Amino acid sequence: MGASETMVRMGELAVSAAAGHVLVSLGLGSCIGLALVDRRMGIAGLAHVVLPGSGGHGAENPRKFADHAVPELVRELEAAGARRIRLEAVLVGGASMFAVSTASLEVGQRNEAAVREQLRALRIPVMAAATGGKRGRTIKVDVASAAVTVREAGGSTETLLGGNRVCEVAA
Amino acid sequence: MSTPQYTELQLDALRELANIGSGTASTALSTMLARAVDISVPNAKALPFAEAVEAAGPPEEDITGIVLGITGDMNGTVLLLVPPADADAMCRMLGVEPDDEFALSALGEIGNIVGTSYINALAAMTGMAIEPTPPATATDMLGAIVETVLAGHAHAGDIALVLDSDLTVEGEDCSISFLLVPDQGGVDELLARLGLS
Repeated sequence: MGASETMVRMGELAVSAAAGHVLVSLGLGSCIGLALVDRRMGIAGLAHVVLPGSGGHGAENPRKFADHAVPELVRELEAAGARRIRLEAVLVGGASMFAVSTASLEVGQRNEAAVREQLRALRIPVMAAATGGKRGRTIKVDVASAAVTVREAGGSTETLLGGNRVCEVAA
Repeated sequence: MSTPQYTELQLDALRELANIGSGTASTALSTMLARAVDISVPNAKALPFAEAVEAAGPPEEDITGIVLGITGDMNGTVLLLVPPADADAMCRMLGVEPDDEFALSALGEIGNIVGTSYINALAAMTGMAIEPTPPATATDMLGAIVETVLAGHAHAGDIALVLDSDLTVEGEDCSISFLLVPDQGGVDELLARLGLS
């Protein structure tokens, strides 16, 4: 396709309004890939959230925390010309990779809950999600069409948010 | 961007620690499989999390990960990464067919013995009281496994200290790569015990 891909790695986020641009997070485990799209404007953003909350920690990179990453992603989308009221969210990841293990590995579920809470506070609807379970996942966001796809480890690519679908879904 | 905060001298000392730890682990693996096992020269790398995941290899590649927690004077995680074909080969060396119901527990046991001997060597060298937690095993995307382990240590800092080395079973083209990821406080404790804090 010749699309240029931007990798959004652990604790990073990216916003794009460039047609032909694809935002990608490869191999999400307990982390959440949060895609936000404004399909009217053809603007999309992707955040790779690592942990639920900063809990007052003064980390050098607060973007790894849901409570910083989600508002920051929305700010950057708005700065690029998106309207908050048109934003639609797709969540991917939050898996429990190791079935039997310590409580710290339940971080996947806590990540999803924290991201959803942030979205609720910002009144952004979650249109689709591929979360939980035990498998790693890759998320791709096609900026121009606002199509969001997920691929599970050992699986095929599945479309979570249709690119050309007219949005008439209630939150 | 944050920068690695360890000196070359500190990284050298940690590398030496990893060398002795993986030497002990290779002896354990060799005894278990009744075959000679080679070890590579270990790396000690202090990397931002995103780069630490990339350094592990192609994120979407299938890998079998065996993870053991470390608790006590130092908290951290030992992660063993085995390509699925190599995991199958090791199961066969133990007389277990890879599709057998016991294959997963055989792998867990390899991880347990190799990981525990590594942790015990660390404890003996540093005088720390540390213990392994029981192993957990998953076969999945490399990136997903590594980032999940790193996420468990991501709260306090942005830099992962990764000590890695490879164990290769001679004549079998079969290898395990070995990562020790101490949490931030754990690294400080390690360096303090080495007199390098």
